[in-house]
Amino acid sequence: MKKIMISVLAVAMLFSVLVGCTSQGNNEESTKDQINYASTKDIRDINPHLYSGEMAAQNMVFEGLTKNEGGEVKPALAESWKISDDGLEYTFHLREDVQFTDGEPFNAEAVKLNMDAIIDNSERHAWLDMINEIEENVVVDTYTFKLVLKHPYYPTLVELGLTRPFRFISPKCFVDGATKDTVSGYVGTGPWILSEHKENQYATFTRNEDYWGDKAKVSSVNWKVMPDPQTILLAMQNGEIDLLFGADGDQIDLESYKKLEEEEFYKTYLSDPIASRAILLNSNAPVTKDVKVREAIQYAVNKDNIITGILNNSEDKAETLMAKNVPYCDIELKTFSHNKDKANKTLDEAGWVLGSDGIREKDGLKCEITFSYNSQNAQEGTIAQSIQADLADIGIKMNILGEEKQAFLDRQKSGDFDLQYSLSWGTPYDPQSYISSWRIPAHGDYQAQVGLEKKAWLDETITKIMIEADYTKRSEMYEEVLTYINDQCVYVPISYSKTKAVSIMGLKGVTFNDSQYEISFEKMHF
Amino acid sequence: MKSYIIKRLLWMIPILVGISFFAFLLINLSPSDPAEVALRVNEVTPTEENIAQVREQLGLDKPFMTRYFSWVGSALQGEFGNSYVNNKPVAQEFARAIPATLYLAAVTLVILVVVSVTVGVFCALYEGSLGEKIIRAVLFITTAIPAFWAGILLMWIFAVKLNIFPTTGMTSPSSVVLPAITLSLGYIPTYVRLIRNNMIQNQHKNYVLYAKVRGLKQSTITKHVFKNSIQTSLTAMGMSIPKLIAGTVVIENIFAWPGVGRLCVSAIFNRDFPIIQAYILIMALLCVVCNLLVDIFVAAIDPQMGKET
Repeated sequence: MKKIMISVLAVAMLFSVLVGCTSQGNNEESTKDQINYASTKDIRDINPHLYSGEMAAQNMVFEGLTKNEGGEVKPALAESWKISDDGLEYTFHLREDVQFTDGEPFNAEAVKLNMDAIIDNSERHAWLDMINEIEENVVVDTYTFKLVLKHPYYPTLVELGLTRPFRFISPKCFVDGATKDTVSGYVGTGPWILSEHKENQYATFTRNEDYWGDKAKVSSVNWKVMPDPQTILLAMQNGEIDLLFGADGDQIDLESYKKLEEEEFYKTYLSDPIASRAILLNSNAPVTKDVKVREAIQYAVNKDNIITGILNNSEDKAETLMAKNVPYCDIELKTFSHNKDKANKTLDEAGWVLGSDGIREKDGLKCEITFSYNSQNAQEGTIAQSIQADLADIGIKMNILGEEKQAFLDRQKSGDFDLQYSLSWGTPYDPQSYISSWRIPAHGDYQAQVGLEKKAWLDETITKIMIEADYTKRSEMYEEVLTYINDQCVYVPISYSKTKAVSIMGLKGVTFNDSQYEISFEKMHF
Repeated sequence: MKSYIIKRLLWMIPILVGISFFAFLLINLSPSDPAEVALRVNEVTPTEENIAQVREQLGLDKPFMTRYFSWVGSALQGEFGNSYVNNKPVAQEFARAIPATLYLAAVTLVILVVVSVTVGVFCALYEGSLGEKIIRAVLFITTAIPAFWAGILLMWIFAVKLNIFPTTGMTSPSSVVLPAITLSLGYIPTYVRLIRNNMIQNQHKNYVLYAKVRGLKQSTITKHVFKNSIQTSLTAMGMSIPKLIAGTVVIENIFAWPGVGRLCVSAIFNRDFPIIQAYILIMALLCVVCNLLVDIFVAAIDPQMGKET
């Protein structure tokens, strides 16, 4: 018996010695030529004309005629373009030195085939107005392509540069002349070639050696699937992962980000403000349909608490729904700074009387509302709790309902909510694509606005904005729309979110693209 | 024995029909509209028209019973339809995930059997000793540790600190060690206790006393006691095989193991009905078959059982 005891002790001691000795022995960085990137999600089907794949992966392989860079539209596969005076015809001069990685030439014919294939599936792209605006795709000559529109749709160039759907896949990958169901391969013109994909395990991208632009600096990217964020952190400490990159807490939660920020082995990156985080107040729900209640909530929410206490100052406070640097959004709007007395006064004046239980009521209706959120996002729950306390202070009882994602979305679609989160889509989708989506009933924005007196006017104006050729008129209409929404207090702006990234010390050239969904691996090196 | 097996096999039919029907029914009671979800998971904005189109495509516009029978009909031929999410055949999705899960389950089972039997027998033989008490304490602690925590702890020690195993994935042969150990940790305490208690009970039985009186060697007696007490434990272990195969979600997530658990959980979150239905049916089938095999096995060891039924 003694012997056993001794051996157990010996093993335990040996073990602790080993643990003590071998930590941090894994920092080799000199000759690395592969970036190991961890994502909680598999790349899935990266058909550029569909939406089921990871956008970052689609962006590595496929390119569009234009690209959005630094808030501007820049040439990509089209070298230059000319827009007709009536804004209906866009003539693109294509680059002549581009080939798909399977050897197929990239030319006007290939552009037309792709554009036709995208329009063939127009229902899938219902979120994007532009699809319905395309009249015709014309091959002018080998390297000239003409896009004919029905109306002078103003965001055309920006939307041609989005990650999807207007990107080009080799005509050889088409199945029965189409791409809407499936494709036979993922061959594009981009800086990377998808060379191996083991579903739910990893995907390997190798450098496109014949790339027409600046070639990628490392020879390959290994996209590893790790569903658990904790594991990703451990793998990073173990030297298996070089880069974490994610929008809105997808890959990295704030706590882990802060922890890594303090450690000397890692470098952390924070993008410029990229999208708007706001709370939707449903104008079509029993209590929040009263604009005075919505206004009082604006005054009651203590944003500073949320920014410093919960978001750890990692995001900027938002006074208006759209940041001033978003196109068309640099306008003077009424702001509602935190003011409990004003909130109380607003409710008093509107006839909401404080009951004996500390909850206000009006005409027998209790001032009780529900905040529903997707329970997968713990941070949203914490923000909700902060708002709950703020509202309790002014006599509004707020219940918090954390639900599974699909249940949350069901509620969003049916409008069965009082308060919900709303995230704008970020650059380059803001403001045009985001505001366009307000007209779609499946969106929470639409449901929250449906109770507004001028909702019909709002939707009509948005439709007009998109096809207004004149910049000044367009700006005026944007101002009308944003002012109305602001005065109606449908959104409580909270913050402007930022994309976060963490890399090991040796990885250089980590930058952010305009779209928070893209990762520019090609600029990174060791 | 033969009639026993046939009888049991025949019983499987109504059980499976019942399970498949209930699986189908319950899933159809889910409040989310699968057509709408199918659009949403592909990030397509649902509209009245495209929902109607998808409903027709997926055959959701047909009456419930028609859908059930057509599903059963094709399931019998190994056809489980296509995933709503990525449109790939469900059978193919399972063919991809099942080997990983079986591999993990098999390694776990080996660890489970070896460790539980050794430790269990040790505990029975040295009942009440200090060593047994320590083991008992360790086992109680192990049972109390949640799998995800144990997994991360093991990963931190053996992958990050000691650098013996990779943290995650299924890339090298040693990848399986950590997830298998984590998975077996949840079961080992139960079986150690089970084996120990059975052995101790058996030691007090009359045949042991008789053997002692006859002057048999202690090792021979232990062998008999072991053989007699292992039966119940084996039945229990057999029953945990389908559980091992079905219930590895947490561990598969932590260790990025591309198995059935992950497939099923993401299917549940995405309301991917064909995958969920196939999962339930396959797991039910597995449970029933394992149950049967264990019973046959036990009957083979103990001829009494076969005769009784």
